Amino acid sequence: MADPNTKQMSQKSANIAAGAVVCVESEIRGDVTIGPRTVVHPKARIIAEAGPIIIGEGNLIEEQALIINSYPENIMPDTEGVEPKTMTIGINNVFEVGCVSQALKIGDNNVIESKADLGKNVILTSGCIVGACCQVNTCEVIPENTVIYGSNCMRRVQTERPQPQTLQLDFLMKILPNYHHMKKTVKGTSTPVRN
Amino acid sequence: MASLLQPDRVLYLVHGEKKIRSPLSTLYFCRYCSELRSLECVSHEVDSHYCPSCLENMPSAEAKLKKNRCANCFDCPCCMHTLSTRATNIPAPLPDDPSKTTMKKAYYLACGFCRWTSRDVGMADKSVASGGWQEPDNPHTQRINKLIEYYQQLAQREKLERDRKKLARRRPYMPLAFSEKYGLGTRLQRQRPGAPITSLAGLSLKEGEDQKEINIEPAQALDEVEPLPEDCYTRPINLPEVTSLRQRLLQPDFQPAGASQLHPKHKHLLIKRSLRCRKCEHNLSKPEFNPTSIKFKIQLVAECQVLLTLTNPVENITHVTLVGCEEGDPEDINSTAKVMVPTKELVLAGKDAAADYDELAEPQDFQDDPDVVAFRKSNKIGFFIKVVPQREEDGDVTVSFKIRHDFRNLAAPIRPSEEGDAPTEAIWLTHHVELSLGPIIA
Repeated sequence: MADPNTKQMSQKSANIAAGAVVCVESEIRGDVTIGPRTVVHPKARIIAEAGPIIIGEGNLIEEQALIINSYPENIMPDTEGVEPKTMTIGINNVFEVGCVSQALKIGDNNVIESKADLGKNVILTSGCIVGACCQVNTCEVIPENTVIYGSNCMRRVQTERPQPQTLQLDFLMKILPNYHHMKKTVKGTSTPVRN
Repeated sequence: MASLLQPDRVLYLVHGEKKIRSPLSTLYFCRYCSELRSLECVSHEVDSHYCPSCLENMPSAEAKLKKNRCANCFDCPCCMHTLSTRATNIPAPLPDDPSKTTMKKAYYLACGFCRWTSRDVGMADKSVASGGWQEPDNPHTQRINKLIEYYQQLAQREKLERDRKKLARRRPYMPLAFSEKYGLGTRLQRQRPGAPITSLAGLSLKEGEDQKEINIEPAQALDEVEPLPEDCYTRPINLPEVTSLRQRLLQPDFQPAGASQLHPKHKHLLIKRSLRCRKCEHNLSKPEFNPTSIKFKIQLVAECQVLLTLTNPVENITHVTLVGCEEGDPEDINSTAKVMVPTKELVLAGKDAAADYDELAEPQDFQDDPDVVAFRKSNKIGFFIKVVPQREEDGDVTVSFKIRHDFRNLAAPIRPSEEGDAPTEAIWLTHHVELSLGPIIA
């Protein structure tokens, strides 16, 4: 798939830590670093066009999720002087099916529900929940523990953080290798289990 | 089917108290009056109450007691979604040995949509899964109940006075009990639309019961009002804490201004309604009693009886004549084009469910004028009409005409006919139809 091509270019390759479970059917382009205990489902897309993406530990990226570090709209890809911005994603986040995230900075314990859409200028702190089909494209920092829900993107603050999906992650890390091929991890000594 | 995807293209005119034009899929057909009925010219009656989330049926008396609320289900005070009960394990000391702790189940309410939990307002976790949750009491309940009792008594007294006057004028020998037992409830004395409905009038005391004199104190007006807090204008607003108007008004007892006082309320019940023709008092639509069933005991929908455009829903051969609307027709207000409809009578074969599967069926032998009939297939027919738009502006072209067809009332009540003729007689029905053909392309 994209693996032999990406290895030829010097900087741009996927850096998958040991303990992460990344399916081969997922599309990872560009300079992407994935932390341990992260699960990337098939058909997920992580595209680092305009800069590297660093994903932390314990994240769950489901099918058809799109995490993209793209160029701002009014800048052509070939102009010089554009510094690549790094997209950072913290730990224990959940990107549910079909969501699109272009936010440059995402903290910990966030849940981005199905078909949610995060714009480039949003910064998620910790414990935020962006509801299904909610589009957040304002230029702001979302405070901690905010829940965005409803067709009008109403907001409220919740008292508890969403719990990290440890049970789900453990289950997936056991089951997914039985049915899918995995991408090779770069660091670590053991090769992932293959059918 | 055009009726499902583009419901507003073909409109039928209903002759009721008001002239209503609506698509056939929303109309009913009273087969006793042989007329179309719309939702506005039938009377709606409550059939049964049920909870939309636990689908539990509730008898009407119990529903009235519980103020039309379900006993088990709650609504989220924040987003009005249904709350679900979640369990956690908390360590709790054993009653015998306080030093050891065991895991006990604690239940709390949580909303899946906005992530509100019952812990947000300070409600303690309960140890039982259902039945442990109480709504907070309204401090004014006692006063309100007393007022209601007083006014019930007053309404009762006034009704007696009125009945006594009426009976004294007309029939002096009718017992007093007659008017009370046959009070509001029968259709003869049904509330006319527009008259205020007094729910108190239904709750009348039984005969023979001693009527206690209830006195109420009038409400006292106070001179001093609680002053606003001093930092009212300077205190910064904590937006997540402010309740929206909708959240506030859904709890009319308290109307809390702060989100930390929003308590969940029991879920409102929904009703199943039955429709009744106002002229002949027959039921047009009666749903099933079981809340999980969406079928109907009686459902006289217009699509089953009245001709759809081009399709014959009944099983007899039907003859259709189309007549254009004349100049100055009072019902023809919306058409923006003149239409020339075929003048000959069109014949539609009956609906035969087995015709698709029967290969040896004889081909239908209708002589069709190719200028009039475009195609014919089992019980459908396509025909040509000529349309001349009258206005040049960019509007929708609407034509109207009348369909006249024969209708056999298969379920007419059995009347001993003196002439001894065939049980199904054809009646000719005329409907005024408006057809929206779409915009004019230059």
